[in-house]
Amino acid sequence: MGTSRNVERRTVLKVAGASVATVGLGATTACGGESGSGDGNVTLRYAWWGGEPRTIAMKKAIALFEKKYPKIKIKPEFTDYEAFWEKFQTQASGGNPPDVFQNAVGFLRKYDKRGVLMDLKPQADAGNLDLKNFRNGVLANGQVDGKQIGVPVGANTMALVIDLKAFQKAGVEPKFGWTWDEYFAALQTIQDKLKIAGDTGYFAIMYLYDLYLRQNGKAFFTDSDLGFTEDDLTQWWEDGYKRVRSGLVADPKKIEQAKPKSGLSAGLAASEFTWDNFSIRYEGEGESDYGLAPIPTTDGKDTGQYLGSLMMSAFSGTKHPKEVAQFISFMVHDPEVGKIMGYDRGILATTEQYDAFKPTDPNNKGVAAYEDEVAKAGVLGKITPHPSGADVIEAAFLRIGGEVSQGKTKPADAAKTLFSEAKAAFAG
Amino acid sequence: MTLVKEAPARPAGKRPAAPAAGRRGRRRENLAGYLFMSPWIAGFLLLTAGPMIASLYYAFTRYNLFTPPEWVGFDNFTTMFQDPRWQKSVEVTLKYVVVATPLKLLLALGVALLLAQKRRGQGVYRAAFYMPSLIGASVSVGFVWRALFSDDAVVDRTQKIFGLDVGGWIGNPDYVIYALVALSIWQFGAPMVIFLAGLKQVPQELYEAAEVDGAGPLRRFWNITLPMISPVLFFNVLLESIHAFQVFGSAYVVSDTRCGPADATLVYTCYLYQKGFKEAQMGFASAMAWTLVIAVALVTAVLFWSQKKWVHYEEAAK
Repeated sequence: MGTSRNVERRTVLKVAGASVATVGLGATTACGGESGSGDGNVTLRYAWWGGEPRTIAMKKAIALFEKKYPKIKIKPEFTDYEAFWEKFQTQASGGNPPDVFQNAVGFLRKYDKRGVLMDLKPQADAGNLDLKNFRNGVLANGQVDGKQIGVPVGANTMALVIDLKAFQKAGVEPKFGWTWDEYFAALQTIQDKLKIAGDTGYFAIMYLYDLYLRQNGKAFFTDSDLGFTEDDLTQWWEDGYKRVRSGLVADPKKIEQAKPKSGLSAGLAASEFTWDNFSIRYEGEGESDYGLAPIPTTDGKDTGQYLGSLMMSAFSGTKHPKEVAQFISFMVHDPEVGKIMGYDRGILATTEQYDAFKPTDPNNKGVAAYEDEVAKAGVLGKITPHPSGADVIEAAFLRIGGEVSQGKTKPADAAKTLFSEAKAAFAG
Repeated sequence: MTLVKEAPARPAGKRPAAPAAGRRGRRRENLAGYLFMSPWIAGFLLLTAGPMIASLYYAFTRYNLFTPPEWVGFDNFTTMFQDPRWQKSVEVTLKYVVVATPLKLLLALGVALLLAQKRRGQGVYRAAFYMPSLIGASVSVGFVWRALFSDDAVVDRTQKIFGLDVGGWIGNPDYVIYALVALSIWQFGAPMVIFLAGLKQVPQELYEAAEVDGAGPLRRFWNITLPMISPVLFFNVLLESIHAFQVFGSAYVVSDTRCGPADATLVYTCYLYQKGFKEAQMGFASAMAWTLVIAVALVTAVLFWSQKKWVHYEEAAK
């Protein structure tokens, strides 16, 4: 009896040992087999951020690509914006970022500096990637120091989204070339007549402040620093806080609790500054009708606007640069893909896709009409690639602006804080 | 387990095993034990001990994840102590610990006292009160909390009935921390169960004797129950304060990942997370983590020191 128990034990050990070994083996195979291309098949990881509609469209577009290039498989990865960059940072530092990924201007220099982004020029020269037919010069958005590290998929610009019904009721009509004074007068009229705030909190939006600075001959960023002074910002925030106190701008406490809904679609205010392609969300969220209005100006002409864009970038260490280039080329040029994606990521960047997609719903039509008008007005300036650390500064700008609006920080102290945090962000 | 308990059996008739053989047998058994433990040991070394040692090293470096860590000595610590946001996070966390822990324990003890009495359907009540502890840490509850304490939601409307028009708590930097406190108190189930076990241990004779002496319920509680369960109370205080120092999930979700508004819910771990994973300042984040470890160790030490004054173990009572 005792013996048998002994035997039993040994068997148990052997089995345990064997299974450990198998697990070990399994692990090695899993590692080695990741992108095994013995049969000529290649798997690319492609990551993006965005909501559900974008994901559905993206998967359709990917299916189309896989049909045309049967030897290339695309493995999708997607999350929301915040989670995307946290994950990406960790993956990239571990040398394991996705082969292809969505990118934006605030991150170009940051990841270029860290050697993560592939220069796509050589691939274009080799004929794997087509860099022609981009509209309004947006291709330049993806260029840093003579390298093409991003390929734009769409173009967007800042706009003022307004609650059409509220503006109508108040009898206010925004026009191209209207000034900030006229804008704030309009907010006053809205408050007087409708008893609601006019704006959701313009002074904490970094990209809007950038436009304001551009109207005054400056810019938020230079190549490596902030392009304005502490006094400029103090003034901007002091004015903003004054307007919160007087009720022209919505109560920040209410805006905060409406999240993730925007203050505009929650009916807390009649207008909100944002990127024009974001305007599509309001229709779904809110109960009113929404439209796009021009950015107020300082001199009646210059809005300071430029075309920003989402881009596709590639990992510098990818094992399949050729396939990556083919995939990007397909995604930005193929007319079918253009039809599928629509203006979700901004107005389609290439003429092939722009011509293929004819918007039918009022939202997409509105976005297209707005950008047409902006382009015709001839106000578009050039974008400058943001310095490394811009993403951290944008978050800080939003946070500190929020503290100002809540009355928790004095504008002058807030400006000082932003400058010191910016210094740390540029150094990081 | 049985393998370890039983001595290795030998076939009958052989001479008694030499001490060496016994040692060998024991060694073999130890080996078996370690082998079975190996997944845990490997996990501990790889996932806990290793990262801890690494983070201790990073705490003295500037490390952005991409370029190799650069030794900076105590720089991270000096910048940290001067950083107004770090100071704010300490302030917010202390406020949370000091308010949430006692309230939670009071409620746990109160409900445990009620549930200790023999009643019909006792089990159902106990389960019902314990339930929040099981689901409380989930992200979904964070969202529910957000909805409850928002402007014009349940809490806001109820307040208004009583004439308190302060608006929702979530967007208000002065109130939002109390929404987190409420979420913590709501999960009083775990300490409650421990209190219940402690209450069961109190000998009934003591109460009977006290009753004979004419002691009222309050006096009995104060002079018998409280001293008798003080070891359990000590355990709960210790555990819950350590927990409270580490609060993260609720603050992160309720504030829509920003630990705000106006940094009002910037608890320590939330700032640590922002520094590490959003701003990629891993050195700074590691320094913060080790400062927290030391702070919690200090608090624990103080509690242990103070127990001499108020915790009664039965040996001492004799």
